[in-house]
Amino acid sequence: MPMYGDAGLKLVQHAKRTQNLTHLPPYQTELVRSVAKEVRDLHKDATNLLEPFLKVQGSFDPSTDPATACTLLVNHLSMRRNKRCLLAYHRTRTDKLEDLVWSGHDVLDLSAQQTGGESGSSSLSPQEEDYVRQYGDLLAAFKGHWTDIDLTGSLEPPKDLFIDVRVLKDAGEIQTEYGAINLTKNSQFFVRQGDVERLIAQGYLQKLG
Amino acid sequence: MDIDDILREVDPTFHSIPQEQRDLQDLTRAYVAERCAPELLHYPPGNLIDRVHENIKRQIEMVEEMTGNMNPKTNFALIVIQNELERYRFILRSYLRERIRKIHKHTLHYLSTDELRSRLSEIEVRYATARQSRLHEHYMSSFLAEFPPQLQNLNDTAGNLNMIDSPDLDSAVFVRLLRDTLVESRGVDDDGLIEGKEGQIFILRWADAKPLVERSSAELI
Repeated sequence: MPMYGDAGLKLVQHAKRTQNLTHLPPYQTELVRSVAKEVRDLHKDATNLLEPFLKVQGSFDPSTDPATACTLLVNHLSMRRNKRCLLAYHRTRTDKLEDLVWSGHDVLDLSAQQTGGESGSSSLSPQEEDYVRQYGDLLAAFKGHWTDIDLTGSLEPPKDLFIDVRVLKDAGEIQTEYGAINLTKNSQFFVRQGDVERLIAQGYLQKLG
Repeated sequence: MDIDDILREVDPTFHSIPQEQRDLQDLTRAYVAERCAPELLHYPPGNLIDRVHENIKRQIEMVEEMTGNMNPKTNFALIVIQNELERYRFILRSYLRERIRKIHKHTLHYLSTDELRSRLSEIEVRYATARQSRLHEHYMSSFLAEFPPQLQNLNDTAGNLNMIDSPDLDSAVFVRLLRDTLVESRGVDDDGLIEGKEGQIFILRWADAKPLVERSSAELI
């Protein structure tokens, strides 16, 4: 027989584990649903408990009936705890999703790949997919104010203007101020860091040395 | 020899404009302070960031102009300027990102009062508000909408527990005194009062260091 709060605890454990993962594990639809249901049930219980008092006296005085007062308090705290668990779980996931958006990944594509793309299943909930889409737009608008400094660029202090890179995946042709470079797999180039930063972040190129 | 000295020799437009150099200095100081302080600091006054952004834009244009020129002498200058440009861009980017990181962490806190709100730039306020409302919508559609109405808030303070998390103002920072001043600090057992001399370095709670920094009597390091 699962106890009150068990599902909430599981959610928090999921969230804790998610913090250390590089990818986003599947959304726990069932758990979230059962925690939310628990809150609704607790609220119903509380309302039922209070009802006779409100009918007879119009208000509830905790000192006249300590037992009921205690039940109500525990009920209430459980609801609050569940809410915190749900918030923590969702916040951890949105933080992760935002990080992915910042680093320039196509999050929706990525989550579809992870699950093998089977029958359109995704590790994101439909609401999360919405959020990612909206956040992507929001960030793009924000970045638009700072086009010249590439806000999502590398946060490593720049050391050299030019770096050696090796091409890990075919990335096609890119334009630099020294002409076009064709990035074919396994080739190696000496290029301006600013020109290829995006490709390094996306895993097409590897920085050498 | 400083990079500025080299630039001054190769770039004829550089020597007569101390304003840009001051801007760089101000930006660097703001950047270091922002990185060191546990809470969000005021957005620099007087359009500093806009000016810096303008400068970067101009430099980029200049680099593009110079690229066509294959004269080895300008080519060397070009590399120096590009190097400088990359660093300039990095400081600004890193500075803005640090602010975003703090805003992300305590969005509701910084949006909650006018005083705190005034620390953000207009763009930052717009971004933070939009993000917060989207986040709230996301919570609502994911689970919060099923909750009883009195539990749907995100800013409850019931049970002496504020839902809005705020930065820890008592965390420690290092400051260097820029002039002789009295340094007051609160300790666990005892409060301290020291006659500070210019150039001395202290480790203080941010809450104690803040007035010194705001009076420009000290800088964060």
